[in-house]
Amino acid sequence: MCGIAGIVRAAGEARVDEDALLRMARAIRHRGPDGYGLALDEGAGFVSTRLAIVDLPCGWQPLEDDAEGDLLVYNGEVYNHIELRDELRAQGVSFATSSDTEVVLRLLERDGLDALRRFNGQFAFAWWQAQSRRLTLVRDRFGVRPLHFALRDDGTLVFGSEAKALFASGEVKARPDLAGIDDVFTTWGTRPPRSPFQGVDQLAPGGFLVWEGGKIVARRRWWEPEYGDAAAPDGDLLELMRDSVDLRLRADVPVGAYLSGGLDSSLISALAQQRKDGELRTFSIAFKDPRYDERAQQEAVARALRTQHHVVEAGPGEIAAALPDVIRHTETPLIRTAPVPLFLLARAVRANDLTVVITGEGADELFWGYDLFKEVAIRELHRRDPDAAMAMLDDLYPYLGETGARRGPAFTKFLLETGAGNDPLGSHLTRAEATATVKAFYRDEVAAEIGAGSSLERLRAQLPEAFDSWSTLERAAWLEVTTLLEPYLLAAQGDRVAMASGVEGRFPFLDHRVFAYSAALPPERKLDGMRDKIALRDLADGLLPAEIVERPKQPYRAPEVAPFFSDDAPEWVADALGADALEETCIWDAGRVEGLLRRCRTGRATGVREGMALVGILTTQLWHDEFCGPERYAYPGETEAPRVRIDRTRDKVTGETE
Amino acid sequence: MTETVTDVRKQMRGFIEDNFLYLRPDVELGDGDDFLALGVIDSLGFVELVEEVQSRFGIAIEDVEITEENFGSIDAIAGYVERKRAG
Repeated sequence: MCGIAGIVRAAGEARVDEDALLRMARAIRHRGPDGYGLALDEGAGFVSTRLAIVDLPCGWQPLEDDAEGDLLVYNGEVYNHIELRDELRAQGVSFATSSDTEVVLRLLERDGLDALRRFNGQFAFAWWQAQSRRLTLVRDRFGVRPLHFALRDDGTLVFGSEAKALFASGEVKARPDLAGIDDVFTTWGTRPPRSPFQGVDQLAPGGFLVWEGGKIVARRRWWEPEYGDAAAPDGDLLELMRDSVDLRLRADVPVGAYLSGGLDSSLISALAQQRKDGELRTFSIAFKDPRYDERAQQEAVARALRTQHHVVEAGPGEIAAALPDVIRHTETPLIRTAPVPLFLLARAVRANDLTVVITGEGADELFWGYDLFKEVAIRELHRRDPDAAMAMLDDLYPYLGETGARRGPAFTKFLLETGAGNDPLGSHLTRAEATATVKAFYRDEVAAEIGAGSSLERLRAQLPEAFDSWSTLERAAWLEVTTLLEPYLLAAQGDRVAMASGVEGRFPFLDHRVFAYSAALPPERKLDGMRDKIALRDLADGLLPAEIVERPKQPYRAPEVAPFFSDDAPEWVADALGADALEETCIWDAGRVEGLLRRCRTGRATGVREGMALVGILTTQLWHDEFCGPERYAYPGETEAPRVRIDRTRDKVTGETE
Repeated sequence: MTETVTDVRKQMRGFIEDNFLYLRPDVELGDGDDFLALGVIDSLGFVELVEEVQSRFGIAIEDVEITEENFGSIDAIAGYVERKRAG
């Protein structure tokens, strides 16, 4: 697991400044605290920062191919590298290291981009074919690992695991992209190809890009989530999950697990513990506020599985104190504080000398665990049997009653009617409408520039051809994977907050074979009435305590208003939300924000929507100040010596002068 | 004791000012003005408004009664509450 970055220029004679590479390396050094390497070629430069997990002594990058002169900088893991290596060896390919990086390069050299389908893992990499001066950027199927890039007018392409590497290069300036920000306040995260920064793109999950001669000559998806296959799933889910977990336990360092207390992470922990001979270490986040706390369930699972369990408790003070650091790492405004406790949890994992954790991420999208899927099912049922649908609704969102969004006939009507028509985005309109609360605080000119509904319109234009042929629940699943999983859960709540402490998350449910299995599973094996993830619950029966097997999903949330309006709230909160700061950012209307703050100060901001508005505004302010403001971060260069240094420009100059 | 129509109007104006009008300082809301047409309340705001009427005035609201005609303005709400109480 690492960070990668680089610069390629249209003309080979053009120089890439080594100092720029050193700044880029430093900007993403948290992703690779063990060391870094760099390579300079003609009109090209690459850096890699390394978190050593596989082949500890030899896996340094950039990796160079002696024969072709190709270079690879690579972030992530291809878990089936052992099998792929054996296959290549049998064909006479020799290896200098035991790292998966070398397997990736060799297979790319043999099969070109056809090799991608053979990789089972989570990765983002840049492959430089020196002879043709061709750069290929690739991202894994679900977008577990991030990859940003910017194409400049002169044809220079700058890329990096995180946008801050691009800004550190000195080639790209950070400016807000209003449409990208509006995605956050529509579906919780900015969807690729956009980012919250103008001129900075994100490579799509399962996507690749080929740059040659100063132009992007190809940009496509090599994998996309597909549904609607009527064939029954192949094989046995338990065996598949065991294999997926086993692959993700492959590492030359210890692997731990996140344990939320819900079904998914408990199931993954149970499977991992069977393989770890009782040595698994589990990590949980607990909350001082009992409304968010799942400590009792976490401890029950840890006891049943006999794991070495660690708990990190997060209260309002810890959440407020860490928020600026979290925004530095997430590089985006947020609508929830939920990434903050996960940032604290990763820090605790690192402090306990672990660098890899497996988690239950992805199960709710693949096996229809979210309440959103139940909303869809209830709307469908309501057309046929209104009384039965109303009875089911009573069990939905029990937690809303405590938070001010009171349930009653109007709420029921809203849930049933919003998205009930033929709108392809129907399943997600209730979420979009609730989140759009934040947009009410836009300055008028900002709202006019963005245009009402433009984020959803762009999403409509992005729907795949087969979308109409899928069931409403399958459409909802595609939308969930596309709008929430990668843009928010795997990024702000996943990669970024874990890599902030140099911790790699691994996700057994996001093995593409598990996805294919879940997509082929009959719908009633995923959701039947209000019982969700049925195939997984059946799997967990006997592996986990009964109360966990049948436990309904509790959405993971963290306090939103209290951390910033208690007596000991940090001083920067008032500064960030003050008139001067709002004027500098130029996104929020100061009068409306003041109205919200009055409600927060007097304890009247108790609703979910007000919490989102406060977090949305506050994090936008922090984000703007960190990246785009007048006192934005100045990126220093790396001062440590590189572990690998390849300089072909010097070789050539030396060769000519000698 | 039940509130008069004037009390209902006053209470609902207070609720709307407190919860929604701070977002629209440009709007002078009259008792007969349409919340949704003026953009003072969005669809989820409308949900909150209806639930508030139900809990504040102790009225059982039927699904079919959740209309703009009954909840679209302060006057409409006052009239609706009065009709419901009259039974």
